[in-house]
Amino acid sequence: MILAGTVAVLVTGGVYLLLQRSMVRAVFGIGLLSHAANFVLLTSGGTNRRGQPLSDRTGVAEMADPLPQAFVLTAIVITLAVTVIMLMLAVLGRNDDTHAMPATGESRDA
Amino acid sequence: MTAAQLPLIATLPLLAAALAVLVRRPAIQRALMLVVPAGTAAAGVALLVEHTHTPVLAHHVGGFVPGVAIPFVSDSLSATMLVVTGTTTAACAAFLMATGEDRYRFVPALALMLTAGVNGALLTGDLFNLFVFIEVMLLPSYALLAVTGTWRRLGAGRLFILVNLLTSTILLFGVAFVYGVTGTVTLAALAGVAAGDGRASLAIVVVLLALSIKGAVVPVHGWLPRAYPATSAGIMALFSGLHTKVALYAIYRIYAVVYGAAPAPWVVALAVLAVTTMLIGAIATSGERRLRAALAWQMVSGVGHILLGLVVFTAASLAAGVFYLAHHVVTMAALLLAAGAIEHVYGTGRYDRLQGLMRREPALTVLVVLGLFSLIGFPPMSGLFGKVALVLGVSGADAAPGSLGGWTPAAYVGAILIASLATLVALQRLWVDVFWGPPMTTYRPDDQRTGRGQPTPVTDDVRVSGRLLAPAAALVGVSVAMFAGAGVLLPVAQRAAAGLVQLQPYVEGVLGR
Repeated sequence: MILAGTVAVLVTGGVYLLLQRSMVRAVFGIGLLSHAANFVLLTSGGTNRRGQPLSDRTGVAEMADPLPQAFVLTAIVITLAVTVIMLMLAVLGRNDDTHAMPATGESRDA
Repeated sequence: MTAAQLPLIATLPLLAAALAVLVRRPAIQRALMLVVPAGTAAAGVALLVEHTHTPVLAHHVGGFVPGVAIPFVSDSLSATMLVVTGTTTAACAAFLMATGEDRYRFVPALALMLTAGVNGALLTGDLFNLFVFIEVMLLPSYALLAVTGTWRRLGAGRLFILVNLLTSTILLFGVAFVYGVTGTVTLAALAGVAAGDGRASLAIVVVLLALSIKGAVVPVHGWLPRAYPATSAGIMALFSGLHTKVALYAIYRIYAVVYGAAPAPWVVALAVLAVTTMLIGAIATSGERRLRAALAWQMVSGVGHILLGLVVFTAASLAAGVFYLAHHVVTMAALLLAAGAIEHVYGTGRYDRLQGLMRREPALTVLVVLGLFSLIGFPPMSGLFGKVALVLGVSGADAAPGSLGGWTPAAYVGAILIASLATLVALQRLWVDVFWGPPMTTYRPDDQRTGRGQPTPVTDDVRVSGRLLAPAAALVGVSVAMFAGAGVLLPVAQRAAAGLVQLQPYVEGVLGR
């Protein structure tokens, strides 16, 4: 339930930020959304019925499912790489609303 | 080819990409850019030959037991896709070399990485691995979109990256739901899982929604006609053959595996979307006044045609969909490369700044005419058999298991005809504006600093060179060959479709039971 609530909050925030015009905010929005996706992935392993994988305390059937954790790890790495690219794009064009072109003399009619 | 060699088709391009970063010598980079996609196509042909007697090859990476392992799977459909994407990528690479775009930093490495991602996505038999390979495919694309261009391209790059990232996140949600509901993400283990299980069906629909955004299905198509024309022609041709088509391949595969013969309860929604996509793409082509923007809408229209084969879901309609997909990739890339050659020489793709190219550029004109014929579905081009097969395929729609009623064949065929007519009208406009009329007097050569030059009088030596034209000519040749060799190629498409209708060999091949 706590995880579900967290996901709801993260998705709400992510969608709100993604709808902003500024690129940096959109980057943060994507970040929140991928966090939400990571939590959903974790939840899909059955967090409500499984515990820590400690061999002397938990039976094999109750141990946490390692596969979703591997998924999340992969997803985190990908998100990190993509965030870097997006921040690069955010830095390169200073004007987020792109009404004015940078001082290259390039016209808008192409 | 043996099953154990399947991962090489994805890993070798990745290694080649690394090599292209390390070795900066142009000759080696160019050789890699041509040899790797050509090798992919050759591997696809070898696999197709193999699949005439072994329908499915599967390799479990790391030797884990089937069901736990992450499998690489090849059947006739994925092998066909390898051939088509490999050939198109090689032609686009040749075009990038002709325009000199391959000399931009890291472009060869990025193009090779893109090939690796595409090959992996086509061969993987696992939903999460599909997500990973789609990301491998998209990451170089983000860079490619912006690297060859000007400031305007950065804006398009932002649109492209945000839409695709949002889509990837939705795909990730979908994969998580699928795992949560079914406890597996191996496609073969998901066979028929949605029958009677509403939760699994919903989870799969989230995955398919994400793939439809990537495939530019109306109403989530808006990003494609905006983002693609803003990038350079060579890159757009590369993307047009790879991104949307890989998404469509995945839709075909996942829908067939999960729903199989029992049609999805929401198939009527898919039918409406496919027909709308076809019509909107064809009609919106008329509204564009630039070569590549018009072609981008034709891409959207093609997506609808291809999906129609899936909606009907008979062996004939699926085969038609596969053949249409192959035809569309080749034709679209050929036209985009020809448009790119015009833009490269005359500095613009706008209808109002181009005229009378027919007399100036006879060879180019012949290629474009053949390409447009193929889009509309006239002989002697692959489009004729693409559309004939599709019409024949959907005319069996009332007898299909998932039939929506006796009126559906007429509706589908009518929609295909209207889309073809709308395409014909729109492309006539393109033809009249760009190729007819008085000869050109001024053009805009590229400016070193701004990229967009001032009007300059056209001189006699301003011509599209043979080197620029060769990749488009090769692809038009492939399209003509697909027309002439339809008797050989349609059975291949039918074998690919049979693999989608008959799931048993696929499941047995992957899971061993």
